[in-house]
Amino acid sequence: MVDNFLVAIVSVARTSVGLIMRPYETYRRLTQKANLWEALSIWVILAIYFAAVSLVKTAAFLPFYLSRQFIVIFSASVGGYLLATVLLWVSARILGGKGSLRQVAVAWAYTLIPTLLWFWFAMLLWLILPPPRTTSVLGIGFSIVFIAISTAILFWKILLSYLVLRFGMRLDLLRISIAFAIVIPILTFYSVVMFRMGIFKVPFI
Amino acid sequence: MTHETNMTYSKFVKRWEEVVDIPPQTLGPLTPYYKKIVRRLKVMPWPELVFCSLVLAIGLYLLIGSAITFLVSLLQKGF
Repeated sequence: MVDNFLVAIVSVARTSVGLIMRPYETYRRLTQKANLWEALSIWVILAIYFAAVSLVKTAAFLPFYLSRQFIVIFSASVGGYLLATVLLWVSARILGGKGSLRQVAVAWAYTLIPTLLWFWFAMLLWLILPPPRTTSVLGIGFSIVFIAISTAILFWKILLSYLVLRFGMRLDLLRISIAFAIVIPILTFYSVVMFRMGIFKVPFI
Repeated sequence: MTHETNMTYSKFVKRWEEVVDIPPQTLGPLTPYYKKIVRRLKVMPWPELVFCSLVLAIGLYLLIGSAITFLVSLLQKGF
């Protein structure tokens, strides 16, 4: 079990480099393998972020509050992931997709890497340069760079999400668009609920 | 056939099967444009992604002016 996990961690690292350099080819390969250990490894990496963010948000070393904060955000993220995976798979199947739930689950887990990257980026910048931003030249310059980096990560996320259904379910662009048109409103509703509950301001999806 | 040729051939067949597994995407008259965009996204898409993001960020600044700092202040608290 430990061996499988360690191999999966190395594989996730190599695949992540592939997602940066050659996303299409990498997604084609990872949906063929669909190794659930890799999805599990990604969640362990995510757990490290959730532990860090719990520390930052709680701002005190109080084990009870830290654990509660960690469990709440981790559960909400797992809920969002499972919801997205099942909805994508069901809608893609309805539209004639041929892949398995396992393939979509692993492929969707890899789309959480851009999400994780943005959340680390936002958290570290919050620590180094806490908001609010001023309307000075430096403040506006920082804001433009922040928006540009966030948008680039968002475009990467959109590209990977497209590849989930392209290679995971073998759908064409039209059907992928329809599948996302079904899934996005439901995920938006889930995100609004998370926002109202004070768990996520920006959805971790 | 030598062993090496056999290996090359089986690699080729495997790669061929991978490629033809999914039918190529067509978009009617827009197909050449789609292919042109996708070709740029297949290998190292970052120059294109960063360029589009910069254009969008500068466009947003030109549109809403210094309110962009308010938006970023909100986003920075969003983690």
